[in-house]
Amino acid sequence: MSQINHILQTQGGDILHAIGQHIGLSLISLLIAAVIAIPVAILLMHHERWAKVMLQITSILQTIPSLALLGILIPIVGIGTVPSIIALVIYAVMPIFQNTYSGLTTIDPNLEEAATAFGLSRRMKLFRIELPLALPMIISGIRIATVMIIGTATLAALIGAGGLGTYILLGIETNNNALLIIGAVLSAILALVFGAAIDWLGKLSFKKAGIVLLTLVVLIGGFAGYRKIANPQTTITVAGKLGSEPEILINMYKDLIEHDHPNIQVTTKANFGATSFLFKALQSGSIDIYPEFTGTVLESLVKGEKSASHDPAKTYQTAKTALKSQYQMAYLKPMQYQNGYDLAVTKQFATKYHLKTISDLVAVEDKVHAGFDPDFHQQKDGYPGLSKAYGLKFASVKTMEPSIRYKAIANGKVNLVDGYTTDPEVQEYHLVVLKDDKSFFPPYQGAPLMTEKLLTQHPELRTTLNKLAGKVTTTDMQKMNYQVSVKHHKAATVARDYLRSHGLLD
Amino acid sequence: MIEFKNVSKRYAGNQALDDLNLTIPTGDFFVLVGPSGSGKTTTLKMLNRLIEPTDGDIYFDDKRIIDYDLKQLRQQMGYVLQNIALFPNLNIQDNIALQAESLGWSRKRRIDRARALLAQVDLDPNQYATRMPSELSGGEQQRVGIIRALAIKPKVVLMDEPFSALDPISRKQLQDLVLQLHQELKMTFVFVTHDMHEALRLGQHIAVMRLGHIQQIGTGEAIMQHPANDFVQGFFENEHTPRPATIHDLLAQGYGEPTTASATLTATATVNELAAALKTQSTAAVMTDHGPRQLTTADLLDYLATKEAD
Repeated sequence: MSQINHILQTQGGDILHAIGQHIGLSLISLLIAAVIAIPVAILLMHHERWAKVMLQITSILQTIPSLALLGILIPIVGIGTVPSIIALVIYAVMPIFQNTYSGLTTIDPNLEEAATAFGLSRRMKLFRIELPLALPMIISGIRIATVMIIGTATLAALIGAGGLGTYILLGIETNNNALLIIGAVLSAILALVFGAAIDWLGKLSFKKAGIVLLTLVVLIGGFAGYRKIANPQTTITVAGKLGSEPEILINMYKDLIEHDHPNIQVTTKANFGATSFLFKALQSGSIDIYPEFTGTVLESLVKGEKSASHDPAKTYQTAKTALKSQYQMAYLKPMQYQNGYDLAVTKQFATKYHLKTISDLVAVEDKVHAGFDPDFHQQKDGYPGLSKAYGLKFASVKTMEPSIRYKAIANGKVNLVDGYTTDPEVQEYHLVVLKDDKSFFPPYQGAPLMTEKLLTQHPELRTTLNKLAGKVTTTDMQKMNYQVSVKHHKAATVARDYLRSHGLLD
Repeated sequence: MIEFKNVSKRYAGNQALDDLNLTIPTGDFFVLVGPSGSGKTTTLKMLNRLIEPTDGDIYFDDKRIIDYDLKQLRQQMGYVLQNIALFPNLNIQDNIALQAESLGWSRKRRIDRARALLAQVDLDPNQYATRMPSELSGGEQQRVGIIRALAIKPKVVLMDEPFSALDPISRKQLQDLVLQLHQELKMTFVFVTHDMHEALRLGQHIAVMRLGHIQQIGTGEAIMQHPANDFVQGFFENEHTPRPATIHDLLAQGYGEPTTASATLTATATVNELAAALKTQSTAAVMTDHGPRQLTTADLLDYLATKEAD
């Protein structure tokens, strides 16, 4: 609870921004869905066969899992707000269409007969009689759609459209329940508030409800238009993966670029998504730069370079060459720190057996009870390879979710875990990282990735971003991660402090 | 004047109307009466083209109704439905004024008209104009249903069994109301019912129908005295040979108030027995299905007077 309070106090602005994004995304999707579904239902109200077809289509669309739908949309429209809105609209169309159609077609036939017999025009019949009578059903359809949209919109964070889902994803990713609760509870509250607002709207007369809806459309449209006009055109978008480390890095990029080139404005998109989303976003031009690891480039992005070398410089060169030839991308020089696998033990355990390197473990291997991430336990560059390279065999090995490992070692359930070199928990739980003295783990060094096109347009970026080359040690990164993800300081502040204290910014 | 010339209507092999010929004089109160399936409602709905004939022609003021603009035709005809069908989303005055609105009357003109009509049928406009239909009783709703059909001063008013769902008191009051309105307004009324009693009470001319054929057309008196066939005679049988009136008949006409007094009579007792009871006391309590009800001498006299008038 105190952690939630702390986050609310320190990141209140960001959370408000996320709520704003969430509401914007939801309302725009809802309006588009209503603008599609209601007129179509009106058009089809006297064509039962076509209406049935339409119902079938919308029902089928409804059954596509939201993640799959996003996956289908990414190659077509890229990532970010547009595919999120398309997916949400697709989901929202069905309840609105279905309710509008049944509302219009279940009107008492006597009332229809009366309206016809009075010689009312089609238009007057629709607006004076049919739509008002169907309104409660239409409103309830919109209500269902709204609650659904607000819930589903949390997934938009996966493809970089922001919103409250960012906190949910981040919470899951970093095992931070407070963030998860903030994201989940706020989106639930949003759903309730909007449900109530729509109920209130339903109680208004047909005319007043129309006026309220129209005002909303104008406001949102006006706001979107204003944002478009107010934003200068020479902007560079820097995005980062989920987590504190990428967020710190992209804030460093922003500060450096804006400091060196006042004519360029940098937009940061933190927690933009996972590796493949970011890479596709870069390819499609939705974003301009993001920090990527040399090891990840070879493992997941480029073809035919799987066997990573254990030499960091060689790994970087291979990655750089492959990115250039396969994707026409420029990969600037990496920073110093390594974010690869490591093995960590408690301070007591290290002191007791004088452990400094992984080789030191051989002598005490029958006393080691390890807790490993399932991937690490299976992958060749994980425990099986390590065991072969060092001739190690631990007394017991348990596999557990990455997020639980550190808790397990803190509680004494295990006495050795795998981890990433820059994990803030190393500092939080006072762990000792053992040196990989045989250079077994493949190197993972962070470096800015961008298209060659961008670098041609803005060659000045190379010098600016290369200021970070060889800077930022593993300990630096650990400390900064600790500041942000445990102490909840703002990533932007932590980044700026680092740049200032290392003379990169004045 | 309305004329049906050789009008037939078939539904998927089923002959609903067969070679119908009919003339309704302008200003008449014309009643179509018959059992269900006789084609009386089909005949009525052909006039405002809710149903189109399969064969034959219908003339309205010497012009075929299919040659009229549909909207203009319907705006010359008021329509009262059996289920009343007031629009639940519109208040009473908007319901009445809807047809006027579609004709483009100014708001003031149509509201004035709605309020005048409400006053004409004893519904205080200040009290009723802005209420919603659900706040009115069935009888009040059908009053509004009738004046809604009159709002734009149509030439013809079509009524499709408008009183069949109402209780006996409301039915009698509304029958009186439409008779009075017909006299005042000089419009042509075409009225559909399955109730012979109602037909005789209202119609200047009556068409008796059965299975899509007209059995007889004439004044009520002419039909009663010279029924054209056994069917017409059978349909009127009840009117010819009245059985001795019972207290049940009085109650069915809506007389009697609920009471707490203990009943001394049953509903099957004759009117004579009631008269005997009322000689000794001013009220008599009768046991009914809905608990005891009391009848007064005034009720008895009123009932007998109405019965005489019929």
